[in-house]
Amino acid sequence: MSTISSFSQERSVTGTSLTNLNNANSSDSSSSFSTTILRDFARKELIDILDSIRGKKSLVIDPTISGSLSLIAEFSLLKEHGVENIYHLQPGRFNIQCQHLVYICRPKMINMKYITEHIHENSNNPDNEIQYYIYFVPRRTMICERVLEDVGVYGDVTIGEYHLDIVPLDDDLLSMELDNSFKDLFLDGDMTSLYYVAKALLKLQTIVGIIPKIIGKGKCANYLKDTLFNLRRELEANHANSISSIPLFPLNSEIDSLIILDRSVDVITPMCTQLTYEGLIDEVYGIKSTFVELDSSLVGLTQNTANISHKLKKIPLNSNDKLFSQLRDMNFAVVGGILSQVARRIQDDYEGRHQVKTVSQIRDFIGKLNNLRAEHQSLRLHTNMTEEIRKFTLDSDFNKFLEVQQNFIAGITSHNLVEYIEEMINNQQPIEKTIRLLSLLSSVCGGIKAKSYEFFRKEIVQTYGYQHIITLDNLSKVGLFKKHDKSKNTYPSVRKALKLIVDDVDEHSPNDISYVYSGYAPISVRLIQCACLLSNSKSMPLPSTTSLFNPSSILSSNNTTNNYDDNHSSSNNNTNNSSQSNVSWKGCEEILKLLPGPIFEEEQPVINNSIYLNKKNQNQRKISLVLFLGGCTFTEISSLRFLSQQEDIQRDFIILTTDIINGNTLVDSLINQVQDEIKSLTTLNYS
Amino acid sequence: MNSILETHPTIYWEALHDKFYMKEEIYTMEWEDINLSRYRIAGAPYGGPIAMIRDDSKILTLGNEVKSIMYFYTSAGKLIYQFQWTHGKIISMQWTDTENFVTVLKDGTVCIFDIHGEFSQFSLGREAKDYGVIDAVIWGSGLVVMTSNYRLIAVNNLDEPRPKLLSDAKLTEKPHSWIVLPPQFTLSRSLEVFLAVGNTILVVDISDVQDQLLIQGPFTKMSVSMDGKLLALFTEKGELWVISTDFQKNLSQYNTGSTVPPDQMVWCSGDTVLLYWTGYILMVGPFGDWIKYNYESPLYLIPEIDGVRIITNETCEFLQKVPESTESIFRIGSTEPGAILFDAYEQFVNKNPKADENIRMIKYELEEAVDTCIQAAGNEINIKNQKALLKAASFGKCFIEFYNSEKFVKMCQIIRVLNAIRFYEIGIPLTYAQYCRLTPEVLIDRLTNRYYHLLAIRICNYLEMNTERVVVHWACAKIKTFTDDEEILSKIIIDKLTSTNEGKPSLCYTEIAKEAYRSGMPKLATKLLDFESQAANQVPLLISMQEDELSLKKAIESGDTDLIYLVILHLHRKLPIADFFKIINEKPLACSLLEVYCKQQNLSLLKDFYYQADYKSETAAILTNESYKETDVMSRIEKLKTALKYYSEDKDRQFEVKSTDEHIKLLQIQEQLEKETNQVFLELSLSETIFKCLIIGQTARASKLRSEFRIPEKRFWWIKLKALVKTNDWEGLENFAKQKSPIGYIPFIEECLKANAPQEASKYVEKCDADQRPALWQRIRGEQQ
Repeated sequence: MSTISSFSQERSVTGTSLTNLNNANSSDSSSSFSTTILRDFARKELIDILDSIRGKKSLVIDPTISGSLSLIAEFSLLKEHGVENIYHLQPGRFNIQCQHLVYICRPKMINMKYITEHIHENSNNPDNEIQYYIYFVPRRTMICERVLEDVGVYGDVTIGEYHLDIVPLDDDLLSMELDNSFKDLFLDGDMTSLYYVAKALLKLQTIVGIIPKIIGKGKCANYLKDTLFNLRRELEANHANSISSIPLFPLNSEIDSLIILDRSVDVITPMCTQLTYEGLIDEVYGIKSTFVELDSSLVGLTQNTANISHKLKKIPLNSNDKLFSQLRDMNFAVVGGILSQVARRIQDDYEGRHQVKTVSQIRDFIGKLNNLRAEHQSLRLHTNMTEEIRKFTLDSDFNKFLEVQQNFIAGITSHNLVEYIEEMINNQQPIEKTIRLLSLLSSVCGGIKAKSYEFFRKEIVQTYGYQHIITLDNLSKVGLFKKHDKSKNTYPSVRKALKLIVDDVDEHSPNDISYVYSGYAPISVRLIQCACLLSNSKSMPLPSTTSLFNPSSILSSNNTTNNYDDNHSSSNNNTNNSSQSNVSWKGCEEILKLLPGPIFEEEQPVINNSIYLNKKNQNQRKISLVLFLGGCTFTEISSLRFLSQQEDIQRDFIILTTDIINGNTLVDSLINQVQDEIKSLTTLNYS
Repeated sequence: MNSILETHPTIYWEALHDKFYMKEEIYTMEWEDINLSRYRIAGAPYGGPIAMIRDDSKILTLGNEVKSIMYFYTSAGKLIYQFQWTHGKIISMQWTDTENFVTVLKDGTVCIFDIHGEFSQFSLGREAKDYGVIDAVIWGSGLVVMTSNYRLIAVNNLDEPRPKLLSDAKLTEKPHSWIVLPPQFTLSRSLEVFLAVGNTILVVDISDVQDQLLIQGPFTKMSVSMDGKLLALFTEKGELWVISTDFQKNLSQYNTGSTVPPDQMVWCSGDTVLLYWTGYILMVGPFGDWIKYNYESPLYLIPEIDGVRIITNETCEFLQKVPESTESIFRIGSTEPGAILFDAYEQFVNKNPKADENIRMIKYELEEAVDTCIQAAGNEINIKNQKALLKAASFGKCFIEFYNSEKFVKMCQIIRVLNAIRFYEIGIPLTYAQYCRLTPEVLIDRLTNRYYHLLAIRICNYLEMNTERVVVHWACAKIKTFTDDEEILSKIIIDKLTSTNEGKPSLCYTEIAKEAYRSGMPKLATKLLDFESQAANQVPLLISMQEDELSLKKAIESGDTDLIYLVILHLHRKLPIADFFKIINEKPLACSLLEVYCKQQNLSLLKDFYYQADYKSETAAILTNESYKETDVMSRIEKLKTALKYYSEDKDRQFEVKSTDEHIKLLQIQEQLEKETNQVFLELSLSETIFKCLIIGQTARASKLRSEFRIPEKRFWWIKLKALVKTNDWEGLENFAKQKSPIGYIPFIEECLKANAPQEASKYVEKCDADQRPALWQRIRGEQQ
């Protein structure tokens, strides 16, 4: 099983990374946490559900979880367990002949409406006696049952739960796949997803052990932490009731810390265009649950180019594709070079057949051949895709857009740059793009001046349509696009303190995370870097990268928290435990104050004694679980992977996010969608 | 030689074929002046209680009490509870697996009592009521009754009674006898009833009646063994016949010589049958051997899984097959390792060197010998004998290297527990086998049910079990029986709970709170709920306690949004709308959730909510979105006008006011345009409308729109530029370019290039800044090629 640590091992092959320090140690630790456990759990439960319904059945799946399900179980497996057909849960007529109809959906009221329609429709048809089952993901809710009751179909359905919460997207990447979590949390104030995350985290802890340290920033992060503690208390109380002697949580957690960040702490990062390979694929094509839909001609599967049917094909993008895992985190600028290197290597490998002389050498070569083919296939895919994306990046609009964006984050908001946004509107650029840039402007300026604000609002409403007055209202409610108020603009200080802008980025062998945006380091990841680095540096000689941070801010904060620090170190001495969690906000409180939301730092009581911990954990690489509430971007994931290879961090990261977002999907969720039906009726080609 | 045993066990033994049976006296009954023959009796298995009520079918002797009183006694004859029987004629009575006492009455009512007489009842339905019940069989967790029209009604689960009519056997007279085979013992996993009719037996279940076509009947008495495998039949001719309950195997036959059916016929230790006629018990083994026990006193037999308890006027005895381990040690002349080890120990105590010889003899079977002694100790009732056997085991242990003492320690613990509950004051004579089957958890429950909380807690602590259930039960019982002031009670209880609960996460306070609420102490209930950590438990109770505010608060604290919805929707249903909003308003999360719910399910409630909270612009936003759902323009405008009204009431919403106002105007213009040009205009934005006007040649309209809505010059230039390119009006474009462009001329070139007209694009290069020209030329060239 590939684990997080072996993952970093792979990366070191790419040549971009620095020396990997703890390879030997980490591969020794066989107990290292593996995300595949979660997949196996989910898979087993799904099969149990299917088996509990005798005979042939049809599945109706909520489109928002179909991606997750395809990661959990392949179609052939479902077939083995009696599934004949799979449909998407959609509004409208649904004619089906079958005995058992199994819905797997999120507990959303709208889904209940669709299901009710199906049931009503079928009830008019007496020869088609259908047994209905609804499995709610991740749990049944009273509110949905109530909706079913109100329309009088509650008695017709068998209701169950499918506890699919965390979906492992990759070895180091976990997602709740809760679409639009940003909107739910920060616009609607609907904390349901936080409850699910808390439940999932608790479940995770029953597998990997209590995570001793939790730090976080943001209102939701704080709420989540409280809920998590509540739930743990409840669970332990419940556990105490039963007489089982099995401990609730494994003794020793390999994950030593949990870092929780609200998306609202850093809304600037998603608004920027991602410039890593994977990030750009997401910006251009959109990646859903690790799958990207490509024209089949791009995939390079169709050999006969004569009849190119423009069929879309789903391609999985994950670390099983060795080439992709090599490329995904790189800046796009270097991808082409690597691809041609790989092409040459593969060519050489093929050429190797001429050197083959003895029979055993032939056998060896044949053995390698299959591998080569797969590599070749993947090379073709990525070359084609790179080609397409390059076209996109060479576009002048794109470059102008990027330029303006980079100026904004560097704090340059001169008039002609702002005018570019006006031109975008006039030029009828997609509204998402316009809003991304506007939001970025608003965020770096701490709001837009009243006059411009009025102007842009009018331009948007008159150009994109009246319904966007509500879109604009939504944007201002979540603070993405707002009028300048009296409060001080904190961005310049944040930029300086966290050294967000790095001018001399070497994309080929980066020495800082800012390579993911070609010169801008995501605030979120910088914060994590601070938390992991600063506390480390207390006990270690200052590594060179510490100079990254504004030394004065460190000095001042050190002075203010001196007392606190002393306490901390003395407690450290007491337990005589050098490997104790050293993830902490200490030393960067000043910077954190500049960003919205409260900060907290908590130690979770752990049952085990430190002696045991000491023995086992001394040489093992520590793992931090990084949790994003409201989504994270591929660039942030890449930067964290990059961080884990830095000498001064010395830890691996596992990322858990409510969903994976980019600027477009984030903005999209906030756009007032009134016209869905109407728009499809009257499609008009403008320009 | 001194015996280390109090009495040698074998003195109670009697041989039946190749097995031994032993009958030991466990208790001398505590009760006085009881004549069992005058009572109807029901005894619970697992050393359970005995219920007795005067049998009104038997003649009273003068001077005895006349009123019917129901007594519950322990196995040792100690009164647990008594109460006056006022419920009507009892058809049948029995104890259930959970030690509840069930009575079936003539009118089809079933009354269930706990051991303290707390009572609940349910009815078996119309059929039973109309015809009346003539007989009933009650088993562990359910019952079957026979009505006077010989229909059978079954209840499978007494906790959730759902009376079901079984298949009609079409009887015309009462069967000679009948019994029930509980569902866990049948092949079909559904309950079966055996009716002895004529010479045969009918098997009735929910859907079917099956005649077993027997000719040996009529059967006047039937009995099913404890494991449900064997069926004992007593024929009219006095023959005892044993078959398997699936009627496939004929096992044994024995002629008792009595044509009178026995008063009681029960199974004992798996394969023998006890028949009781007044004056004696006849025990018949599987090979036709028999033992007869004479009794002067009337008696009552209670079958157990490993034997039979015999209750007489004076004693409680236990009759069982001698367990294997005990037999192998004490059987006269036994040479089993266990026996030799025990002998060795006896020699050792008597300082006889033979001990050493003995140990050597069983050198290789020592472990087996030790295990046997441990096991036999468990089977022993006599404490001195237990000690002797354990000491023998301990002695044997010394000669084994690496013996795992866990078994030994565990058995010592269990024996201590068993001795404690067998003590006559407690009066639960469990055997080791019964204890294992019952499990310590159930035993604790039974102890707490009898209010032996202290003993239960001590046993829990001793066995390292969780004491929580006991504490909760204690608190509930305390609340139920307490008559003093609520304040004092709550102090006692809370002190106790917090002190016993030190360091532990928490108890299930809800259950106690429920009891307090039921007993009319809402204050205590609320106080207790405060300690509860599980919101999912707490909230529903708070709701039923009408603690609206608090229930919402707790739900919010839990973070479980579904729970919050539960409260919100409940409050919405229950309270007047104003009060409902009042509670919700101060809680932001509740408000948010209400909004989310309403947006999808109940817009009118949302409007009410916004109205009372004075959220003008939110109301307007709903109306705005609603306007898009209207089909004709008039009603759309109506909606928008209302929205406008709301927006204008909020002084921060001037932009929305203006936009809405403009949109209404635009809609009107678009409608007009549609009529005039027969083109689609609705759903277009203002810019798009102007664009379309330009394309279809409505230039004047476009200009009018431009001025009416004060379109910025730049935008208008863009729109016109795009429209001209779209219609390929190159001449028009050139003319347009003659004016000074506020957007520069690069857009002209770009648009031309996009429209694949590089030739046209080239016309505008000279109008651009000099330093941009080379690059532009280059691009145009590129396109041309």
